[in-house]
Amino acid sequence: MKFHEVVRAQDPAAPSEVEALVEHLFRHSAGQMVSRLARWLGSARLDLAEEAVQDALVRALQTWPFGGVPAEPRAWLFQVAKHRALDLIRRDVALRGKLDGLDGAADHFPEADVRDAALDDDELAMMFMCCHPSLPHAGRIALTLKTVGGFGVGEIAAAFLAEPDAIAQRLVRAKRQIREQEIAIEIPRPDELGARLESVRDVLYLLFNEGYAAHGGENLVRAELCGEAIRLAGILSRNPATDVPAVHALLALMLLQASRLPARVDDAGDLLLLSEQDRARWDHGLIAEGLSHLELAASGNEVTAYHVEAAIAAAHAVAHDQASTDWTGIVRLYDDLLALKPSPVVELNRAIALAMTDGPGAGIAAIARIEADPTLARYYLLPAALGGLWLEAGDAGRAAVCYREALTRPCSAPERRFLEKQLARCGRR
Amino acid sequence: MAKFLVLARGTGTAYANRSPQEMQQVVQRYMAWTAGLRDAGRMIHAERLQSDGRVVRGTGAKMAVTDGPFAESKEILGGFWLLEAASYEEVQGFLKDHPHLDVGSLEVRQIHDMG
Repeated sequence: MKFHEVVRAQDPAAPSEVEALVEHLFRHSAGQMVSRLARWLGSARLDLAEEAVQDALVRALQTWPFGGVPAEPRAWLFQVAKHRALDLIRRDVALRGKLDGLDGAADHFPEADVRDAALDDDELAMMFMCCHPSLPHAGRIALTLKTVGGFGVGEIAAAFLAEPDAIAQRLVRAKRQIREQEIAIEIPRPDELGARLESVRDVLYLLFNEGYAAHGGENLVRAELCGEAIRLAGILSRNPATDVPAVHALLALMLLQASRLPARVDDAGDLLLLSEQDRARWDHGLIAEGLSHLELAASGNEVTAYHVEAAIAAAHAVAHDQASTDWTGIVRLYDDLLALKPSPVVELNRAIALAMTDGPGAGIAAIARIEADPTLARYYLLPAALGGLWLEAGDAGRAAVCYREALTRPCSAPERRFLEKQLARCGRR
Repeated sequence: MAKFLVLARGTGTAYANRSPQEMQQVVQRYMAWTAGLRDAGRMIHAERLQSDGRVVRGTGAKMAVTDGPFAESKEILGGFWLLEAASYEEVQGFLKDHPHLDVGSLEVRQIHDMG
């Protein structure tokens, strides 16, 4: 092993190394390395790839504090992980005396090509494995976050408000299924690409929503889910195999939604209504990027739910304020969305938009039609929205009843504070 | 100013089950500590030590070389920093909140000044 050449310690007197560590370097490198190694070793050796990567990170932790960060940290990590994987394979061979088709593996071990395009390709192949339609939904999400996202079990558990043991079990089961069904780490053939890609898109959208719904500064891991979903969708949009309009639509939707994140909470970390947000704090770089992906999404004949949802997000993003927002257009887009993907949540959003054009009474009437829907029984946003409309209609008593009901349903701490604030407003009238 | 050797015992294997993000945060804490002393002109040198080694005893025909030292992992010398400081007290101040203390111990030795 000659990797001491790469490992060579840097002069501790060299200029600041703290800045040399890119944000999320370990997490992103972990996803890239696991993807690279597992793609080479085969999905049956996913555990071995993960162990090698974890060991490489521990090695960095033991070495860099003394020697400094190497000039090419990612290349360093890749090199160490690669050698560690070879060691682990030799250990397996020594223990079980078999190679399982890995004869001469060391000879054709992939070079540590750490250029983005090569890494993108590995991560894309890994995403297709993690989101394979034969895996249970929860397993797909956990596996994507663990292997491609580089999140730890504890972090995934925190993001989904689950017990770490439950997440670990989910991962074990999904990996067993991958081994038994011999699900390969590869970009699917053109004839099955469509359905497989749909599954990947849906997982990324779920990840994004999970992060977006709870973003309130109290749970940073959940906020990171939005960034990770956008990063992975970006990989899809850059690869010729997956660069289709529906991917651009999804990416546009996520970028436009994410553009509002900086304005969604006030300085105290409390949630703000759309009408209360300082639109100067919206991320206009993300809006521009989102709009350009929306344009790319418009090529082709297919209109997916992501297209329509992105168009709704765009209508908000380009409006200067609540009053000049094209609410009539938004109601029409919600009609389109309902035709594509009927859902009581979409009905609820349509009702809120309708209240903006036809007044709170119209919104209240529209919500009344879905109020009894069992899928919304624990959805705090329904009574919360209704409360807002009653307040607007001047009936603080009814609004208070709604907010009290909303407070009995599951929601995050910032959401709870928001509801309590609204409830207090009812009392003052 | 005198020279001080800070020996780090324990090799950070306690972090083996942490997530990549958590490990990066730990590395960054170490880097920030190092950078602080370097920027203040107090860091002279630093090296990581490999965990294996040799122990040599006896002379001539009686010389014996064994693999080692095989101390417990928390005793293994992981690396050292060579610093410049006015006193032990000042070094202790540098080591307050040192990230290594979460998983191991630090031994401080003043370099004897021949002058």
